[in-house]
Amino acid sequence: MTDSNKLPSGQTRIDSIEMRGITKRFPGVLASDHVDFDVKSGEVHALLGENGAGKSTLMKILYGMYHPDEGQILLNGKPVSIASPTDAINIGVGMIHQHFMLVPSLTVAENVALGLPSSRGPLTDLDRVSKRIVELANIYGLKIDPSAYVWQLSVGQQQRVEIIKALYRGAALLILDEPTAVLTPQEVDEFFVIMHQMVKDGYALIFISHKLHEVVEISNRVTVLRNGKKIGTRPTSETTKQDLANWMVGRDVDFAPDRGKVDIGEVRLKLENVCCGNDLGTPGLREVCLEIHSGEILGVAGVSGNGQRELADTIAGLRKTTSGRVYLEGRDVTGLAPGDLTDRMLSYIPEERMRDGMIKDFTVAENMILREHHKHQFSRSGFLKLKDISTHTDKLIAQFHVKTPSQETLAKNLSGGNIQKIVLAREISRNPRAIIAAQPTRGLDIGATEYVREQLLDQRKRGAAVMLISEDLDEILALSDRVAVIYEGRIMDILPRQNATRERLGLLMAGVHPEEKAPA
Amino acid sequence: MISELFTVTVLIGILASGIRLATPYLYASIGETFGQRSGVLNLGVEGQMLLGAFAAFYVALTTGSLWLGILAAMIVGALMGLIMAFVTVNLHAQQGISGIGFYLFGLGLSDLLFQKLMGTVETVKGFPPIKIPWFSSIPGVGEIFFSQNILVYGAYLLVPLAWFVLNKTTLGLKIRSVGENPDAADSLGVSVARIRYFTIILGGTLSGIAGASLSIALLNVFQQNMTSGLGFIAVALVYFGAWRPWGVLGGALLFSMVNSLQLWIQVLGIPIPSEIAVMMPYVLTILVLVITVSRVRAPSALTKPFERED
Amino acid sequence: MKKFIWLLTLIVALSMILTACGAAAPAATEAPVVTEAPVSATEAPVATEPPAAPAEPFRVAVIMPSAINDLAFSQSMFDALTRIQEEMGGTDAFEFVYSDGMFNVDDAAAAIRDYATEGYDLVIAHGSQYGSSLQEIAPDFPETSFAWGTTAETFGVPNIFAYEAASQEGGYVNGVLAATLSTSKVIGIVGPIEVGDAKLYVDGFKAGVATTDPAVKVNVNYIGSFSDVALASEAATTHIAAGADALTGTAQMVVGAIGKAEEANALWFGTQSNQTSLAPTIVVASQVYHWEVALREIITLINSGTLGGQSFKANLANGGEVVEFNPDYALSADATALAESTIQGIIDGTITITLP
Repeated sequence: MTDSNKLPSGQTRIDSIEMRGITKRFPGVLASDHVDFDVKSGEVHALLGENGAGKSTLMKILYGMYHPDEGQILLNGKPVSIASPTDAINIGVGMIHQHFMLVPSLTVAENVALGLPSSRGPLTDLDRVSKRIVELANIYGLKIDPSAYVWQLSVGQQQRVEIIKALYRGAALLILDEPTAVLTPQEVDEFFVIMHQMVKDGYALIFISHKLHEVVEISNRVTVLRNGKKIGTRPTSETTKQDLANWMVGRDVDFAPDRGKVDIGEVRLKLENVCCGNDLGTPGLREVCLEIHSGEILGVAGVSGNGQRELADTIAGLRKTTSGRVYLEGRDVTGLAPGDLTDRMLSYIPEERMRDGMIKDFTVAENMILREHHKHQFSRSGFLKLKDISTHTDKLIAQFHVKTPSQETLAKNLSGGNIQKIVLAREISRNPRAIIAAQPTRGLDIGATEYVREQLLDQRKRGAAVMLISEDLDEILALSDRVAVIYEGRIMDILPRQNATRERLGLLMAGVHPEEKAPA
Repeated sequence: MISELFTVTVLIGILASGIRLATPYLYASIGETFGQRSGVLNLGVEGQMLLGAFAAFYVALTTGSLWLGILAAMIVGALMGLIMAFVTVNLHAQQGISGIGFYLFGLGLSDLLFQKLMGTVETVKGFPPIKIPWFSSIPGVGEIFFSQNILVYGAYLLVPLAWFVLNKTTLGLKIRSVGENPDAADSLGVSVARIRYFTIILGGTLSGIAGASLSIALLNVFQQNMTSGLGFIAVALVYFGAWRPWGVLGGALLFSMVNSLQLWIQVLGIPIPSEIAVMMPYVLTILVLVITVSRVRAPSALTKPFERED
Repeated sequence: MKKFIWLLTLIVALSMILTACGAAAPAATEAPVVTEAPVSATEAPVATEPPAAPAEPFRVAVIMPSAINDLAFSQSMFDALTRIQEEMGGTDAFEFVYSDGMFNVDDAAAAIRDYATEGYDLVIAHGSQYGSSLQEIAPDFPETSFAWGTTAETFGVPNIFAYEAASQEGGYVNGVLAATLSTSKVIGIVGPIEVGDAKLYVDGFKAGVATTDPAVKVNVNYIGSFSDVALASEAATTHIAAGADALTGTAQMVVGAIGKAEEANALWFGTQSNQTSLAPTIVVASQVYHWEVALREIITLINSGTLGGQSFKANLANGGEVVEFNPDYALSADATALAESTIQGIIDGTITITLP
């Protein structure tokens, strides 16, 4: 057991895996263009790139889900063929997918045992599997109940199940595909602790991300991809966030867009003791009071699931208040239908843009007029004015730089960034008096994120009142004039930006008033 | 008159005929349960049953062998399942509508063959009741449970067997995972296509036996459209049973028992209009479904074709 | 994606074709199904002369709810058309096509319209469930004659004939026999839905039993379906468990019930078609419909220019109904005589059947 070649899970370590000249073509796209990539035992190698840069393609090739058109893979210097995930698993490669590959209705043990031969032939051997899960979990201090159903677990716990699943299958190299995208800041910290420990133990880790600060924090080396090509590989210590961002996007990126000075005007949106329920029937919002002025961005920070969705839905008229009032430009709009709020020039950029922000199977043009299709601008006595709609759409496509083959393209065939641009174009081009933007950049690449932020700042300059709900503290701090922190449906505090330090916000997000903290 | 319902003869009669009536439902519903647990809705059960019923009857009639009849029903059902699997798994056809297509196909083909090969309604000597020694002589219980034909016993043995396969074997684990999250199963090297082929063919085979249980065990005739919607009720029972074999058994028994109860209500002359009486099994089943609003959801991938993302 | 849509279309089309083949085989081009030669105790009196064959064949289309060989309702019409064809001198004089298994009323309506469009001289909607469809369709084709049964209702539409059977008459005869032969003094009836032809038959049967032996108990079971063979068979089992030793039933789903009667060695009384072949040891007698009695008159009227507006009734007196006895069943001389005299009484009016 003292064999230095062995990992704590008993698996032999992988000294190195090298991908050479990997090329993969899809119809019309060169997804991977002669890319070289390698990872060694005991290091985190970050793979960085915008959406569509070819990160996933490259990793799916390594995991045997795609077959490269050209190039080869070397394991410890010897060529190997990885034709299927099973082959990958057999040589010790494991993958934690961004969307967890777990079956919610099965237990942890069943998920781990799935697809593996059982010691009892055709019968399952879940007791043995459970025992082994506990052994593996103990190595990294992960608390996992093998008999729990996956649907009962938090996202962070589910991720641990994924790790255990890979280790159980003898993984010595783990591909982590955007593992932090779904985690809260606390969970990210815990996850990084585990990663550090694994690297120390001799595992090889590939960390896919487009969050620069995480890459800088956790990785030993970083490789940047853009448009299917490798831009370069460097030790992380020799790079900065700014360098990496410029590499990724291919131009200089403005991280702290100029906020400019804008005069704050009258109160546009006001919530007075607003309460509402959530989908589970428990209180979603508790006595929320806040005001947003013309020319102001109010950031709402908080850990996911603390009432952000309820807050946005309530203001947008999608959820009933149980008590309290909502005022828009001084008028009571509590309980008004979304259509009435539209007429009063409230715009809403919903969190689930694919579900609530648009209709996937509608064309770009149809999505552009979803909100105002019934107005005389776009229809006359029930008939759509197709020509006017088309002109309008063309104008917006140009103005908002939407990359789409045509107006008639179905929304679902566009990238996330372009879909969000359509939502923005529709919601902003009508010059609304107030805007609710919920997680407006989540899942977008750097370029699109930058664009969305600029647009929100433009709206602020124009005099709109903007509520920016975000779980990304960098975003909140970069854009907001004031920051409200929401915790368990309550507004913990509202701070002017200059007082809103990370530490202070962090404590508030955890439900602790800094003042209440007993002095040491 | 109501009191007459509670005589021993009547109670035994209700239970015994409920047990028999539930037989074809059990075969078809258990088969459908496998399909749906793997994510495939097969609405063609009725068609598979009709073809199975005809195949079993015709082969039994011409060869004189009931077992060959069962075999024929299984083969025909399996073949229907094979085509269904090809259409839904490989071609990603919309499952609901292609199922209806298979129903019409089975209905039409069984009728065509019936008219061309037989010409008129005939009878065969079906599976005789098998009295299980000692047990069958227990008063009441013996007649209800231990004096049925072999296919009735088979249907009830199928329930624990299906439960065991689904919950205690690696195959069952694969089936459940494929129906809930085929991407996850695929990423772990489970062949989604192979599992779905297996369950759909198994479902077809069992539907074939369900048909045979009518034509050569319970009724011993073949008549055009003789299943009369039974296959669709079998699909509904899978939902009723919340995709669990024991639940399906409960649903099939409830439906059948109430059906035999309403037959007795009419026979005893209890003054309930026949129109109301015949609705009882349906109404009661729906009521139970509404009252016990099940927390159990359908398999997440039900009706969704699987394709690896590009 | 294209590929699967194509294949799906193919499969659906194939199944349609198969359904259609099973349903609309033109009888003119095919040897009609040979039915058992019925052994009848009473000779069917010829009510009218067979209509003279015109130069063009007389063309008839018929829509039926179940299979032409259902040994019940649909077969009775198919057999009648076959006999008319023989009488008139084969396919040169009389052609008929059919769509059977049309239990779906919407499909049936489409078929009725198709046949009318194709210019058939007479389109028969053989099933009371087709009434409302016919009422809509017939006025659109004033040149075509329609007939529907079983009913007396022509809706006042000038090109609709109606026909029905006095099925209570044969039911009464069966009832008299059943009451005489039953030793357990319990009789069971399996019916489909409590309306029309089935209800008439059941009520007639009960009246026959009541007149013969008021002590006999008659249990009735309507199963709510014309096609649920399994439930019909279970209904028969229920009757037997309740002590019945003689059973009867009407509509095409009773084929399963007859089997159960045979297993229990209970007597069976048939109706609509001769059901002896299903269980030769226990079938005592069957009331058989001879729709040709009505059909002959309808054809004669059409040839003379009247396209509808009249209704016809098949009964024992005009030979539209015949009680056929099973020669293999040893019916005692007394019982035979009783049956014969009952039939005669109904024909000459000395027996009147009181329906509820």
